[in-house]
Order: sequence, then structure tokens, then C-alpha cells
Amino acid sequence: MAFESKPMDMKGSAQKISDKDFEQLRDYIYNVCGIYFHSSKKYFLESRLSRRMEVTGSKTHAEYYQYVRGGATGSAELKKLLDEITTNETCFFRNLPQLNALENKFLPEIVAVKGKIGFKKLRIWSAGSSSGEEAYTMAMLLLEKRATLLKDWIIEIVGTDINETVIGQAKEGVYNSYSVRNTPDFYLKKYFKEEAPGKFVLSPEVKKLATFNQLNLYDDNKMLFMKSFDFIFCANVLIYFDAASKSKVVQHFYNNLQSYGYFFVGQSESLHGVNDKFKTVHFPGGFTYNK
Amino acid sequence: MEKAAMMQTAQEMVASFVDLPTIPQVATRVIELLDKPGVELDEVADMILADQVLAARVIKMVNSPLYKPAHEIKSVKRALIYLGFRHIRELAFTCSFVDVFQGRDGIIDIKSFWEHSFGVGVVSKIIAQRVRYPDTEKAYLVGIVHDIGEVFLSFYRQDAFRALLDSVQGQPFRLVQKEAEFLGTSHNEVGLCIARKWNFPADYCEVIALHHAPEEAVLDPTLCAIVNIADLFCSVCQLDYGGHSWVSFNLAEEKAWSILKGYAPNLADLDVERFCYELEDRVPEIQDMVKSIFQGIGG
Repeated sequence: MAFESKPMDMKGSAQKISDKDFEQLRDYIYNVCGIYFHSSKKYFLESRLSRRMEVTGSKTHAEYYQYVRGGATGSAELKKLLDEITTNETCFFRNLPQLNALENKFLPEIVAVKGKIGFKKLRIWSAGSSSGEEAYTMAMLLLEKRATLLKDWIIEIVGTDINETVIGQAKEGVYNSYSVRNTPDFYLKKYFKEEAPGKFVLSPEVKKLATFNQLNLYDDNKMLFMKSFDFIFCANVLIYFDAASKSKVVQHFYNNLQSYGYFFVGQSESLHGVNDKFKTVHFPGGFTYNK
Repeated sequence: MEKAAMMQTAQEMVASFVDLPTIPQVATRVIELLDKPGVELDEVADMILADQVLAARVIKMVNSPLYKPAHEIKSVKRALIYLGFRHIRELAFTCSFVDVFQGRDGIIDIKSFWEHSFGVGVVSKIIAQRVRYPDTEKAYLVGIVHDIGEVFLSFYRQDAFRALLDSVQGQPFRLVQKEAEFLGTSHNEVGLCIARKWNFPADYCEVIALHHAPEEAVLDPTLCAIVNIADLFCSVCQLDYGGHSWVSFNLAEEKAWSILKGYAPNLADLDVERFCYELEDRVPEIQDMVKSIFQGIGG
């Protein structure tokens, strides 16, 4: 008899999650972390949940749901679950609708505003940059505009992360095939060199545009110095913060953004209820925030 | 551009359309029945059963994910029991309406048109429920018909429509503005002329004409605003004419949003982000339903 080829967990097949349990957990994760689980990711969540259920000794999804809601152990567990569901999410060209909107609308818009006052400098911040994929994606997109829209412009891209190790990796600029899995051929050929199979080295031209520093987003003093950005990206970082810290950090982002700038969060994230000053601007496939 | 001139152009244009389809009697009768109190269920059932193709389509659609039956429904009678009276009228209307557009693929293909139209219908209904608009079914139906002008423009004026789309490649744009520029009129005016020809009720005509300018509505500005906002949301959630429209918006700047907030102040607390994510979740359902309309019906 042939085996069915369905996604299997390492420890055997995952327990099927009922619609009710899925919706309950989704609501909880959304309310606490501000990240929405699309129904299409149900099976993904199912398999990741099975690992956490095993560790916590929960026999059913309902039992795990009770566990994750319970006090300090629950919130520590929720962080672990988030780790499971956001691991390896980082890659180049991760959020295509966002990049598309940026290239076609938000960038030309800001260039027009700043160009009018002769301020030809663009400042971009990738907050929680991890190993630099987001910052370098921006660098590549902007390099392509160097001869046209951004002729004679100064470009500053800053990546920050709390983790020194990933900052080191970002500065090094060497990636595996998983990181470049979404990269269009055009960019892959132009800006990477495959030195060995699966070892992609970023071109110096791209690296030159971005700098990386260690930064804790909770650090109020240092946050004060992150001034005058046109675009700020902060994907899958705020989901780990409690409501009060989230609100404080988002206020910093608000202050550090130019009046005409845009603040982007991750693909399924939401700032609803976190900051009432930011306005939501919708575009095909996503939304961003502005002042 | 002058409104009167755009209307004049639309009238001349619609008069010049060769083989403009007529609306099926069933659809007209369903619309009439909507406003008639105390209609018997059998009346609608008879209407459906009198038309084999329509009956088959109703069964296809009721089994689509949008209506989520636990077991496959095989007869019109079971469909009626399952859906209840209000839903079956919706279904009868949309199923009969589909034929009008068969084979009218222009620059915008019919499948994309229906995905957008059903999307706007579904979202209009959701918004109508949120703001406690009394007739959510009407919101659904006007949502479905709001863009009829678009199909005919893109079918009968293919060259101009192609030129329009070529001119905006990679740029954000709103179709209605570009149409005025390239065609001297827009899908609003063209839609209105067709709706009048088909004897649509006045409030349906108003939505078709003013869903991009709800502040000008007289009969039912709330309904126009509902469809306007539903249209915007669908345009950013993959129900965007197969990518032929590129819209960006900020609710705070939309007149329709102010109208709706005036009508239902609780709307100010809406979690707009979650609303979008939930809508994205429903897109496959809507696409499946559209697929189910076209698959294996009428040979």
C-alpha cells in the first residue's frame, strides 16, 4: 500500500485542529501579539503546534490554548510558539506587494516632496533587521533607480537588531539559497555571486549602501538619535512585545519618521489599538502607516 | 470634464453598442420581488425550476464554499430549505444575471469581473451588517451590479481601453479618472444608461452612477457609500480585476467613510487591519464560487 504524501511532523503526523480551536487560538494570538493567522496557514500552524503541545504535555488543542493563556508560563510559551511560527521567515524580496507599492507609489511620492525643497537624501531604517535581507533588498531596489528617479541622491539605509550575531552576518553579506529563494533572477544575477553551490555573496555595491548596528528598541536614549527617516520597516518584531512596550516603541517610530514618511510592519501584522496617531494607508496586497 | 458631456457621450455610446444583451426576465422579476412584502417561497422556487440552466447553476453555487453546506445539496428544493428565503433570492438573481455577460470578455475578462463584483457584493453585505443598514440583501445585490458599465466599456471599446491600461503601467491610478480621459465618459455613466435600459430600480441606478461619488447621492447616500468602501477594500485584496486596477487609499480621506461614520458612529472603532486580513481569507471562497458558476453549466 502506498503512503499518502501529506505534510508530516518530525514526531509523526500533527493532530488536526478544529475550526473552532483554530479561530480561538488565532483570536488570542491576534489580540496579544497583533499578528493574524490566515486560514491558508492553518496546516502550517497545526504542524508547528504539535511540537509545542508535545513539549508542554498538552493532549488537545483546547488544553494547549488554556496553557498558553495562563500567567507567566503561558506568556513564555506564547513567545516560543511565535518563534516556531516565524522562524526562517526572513529572506530577500519577502513582501512583494509592499515592494511593489513602495516602488510605484511611496518612493516617487517622497522623492517629489523632498525634491521640491532640494533635500536629495533618502533615509531608510530596517528595525529588527536580522541578517540584513530587508535592508539589502531596499538597497538593490534603490540602486536600480540610481540613473533615473534617484539621480544625485544620497541614500542611507540603516539596519539595527538587538542580536550581535545577526548584525555580524548582515555585515558579512553571505547568504544561503534559502535566503535568496524569492529573489528575482534579474537581481540574483546582477547583485550576487554564487561562490560555491548555495553560497551567495552580495556585491560590494549593495553592501556599501547599508550600515548595521546593534540596537535595543527599548533603549529610549538611543532611540532618540534615530532621526528623520523616510521609511521605517519593522516586521515580526513588535509581536514579541507586551502592550505597553509596543506602544512605547511605536511612539518612537512615529517620532523618528518624517511627516511625509511611511512605517511598514510585517505581512500579517496589525498596529490596531497600539497607536492612534498613525493612519492606515491601503495598497494592493497590504497597508502601511503614515502620519 | 463636464458631467453632462460625459452623460451625453455615454448615451451615444450605449446606443451604438451592437447586440447589447437584454436582462433575463428572471433577474428583473427577482428584483421586483425584493420590494414586495409577503412573497411566497414557492413563487421564487417556481421561477427557478422553470429554467433548467438556472436551476443547475443554483445547485452548483449553493455547494460552493461560500455557502458551506455540510453535505452536497442535489435539488433546488433542498437548496431552498438550506438557504432560506432571503438567500435564495440573492442566488436566483445572481445566477440568472450571469448569462447576460457570457462571452463578453473584453480587455477585462469576465471571470475577473465576477470575482470583483461578487467580492464587492459580499463585502457590501458585511459592511451593511456592521453599520446596521436595514436591507443587507440589497447591499449585496447592488454590490454585484455596481460595475456593469465596466464590462461593456472594456468589451465594446477594446482599443481605447487597452491604450488606457498601457498608459498607466506600473503607476497607481483610479480607473474612473482614466476612463474620463481616454473615453470621454466612464463606467458610471455607461452603467447608468444600461441600468435604465434594463429598468433597474432608482436606488440601484444611483449606486451604479455614483459609487465613486457617494456624496452626490440623493436617494440613498449610505448605500452608495457602502458600495464605495467595499469597492476600495476589494481593490486592495486581490479582487482587483486581475490586477487591472491599482488603488491606494486612506479611509480618513474618503468621503464615503465620513458618510458611513455619520450613519454609524461605532464604525470609528473598526479594526481595519483585521478587516482586511479577514477579507483576504475569504478571497479563495469568492474565487471558488465564481469558478463554480462557470464550470459544467449549460454544456
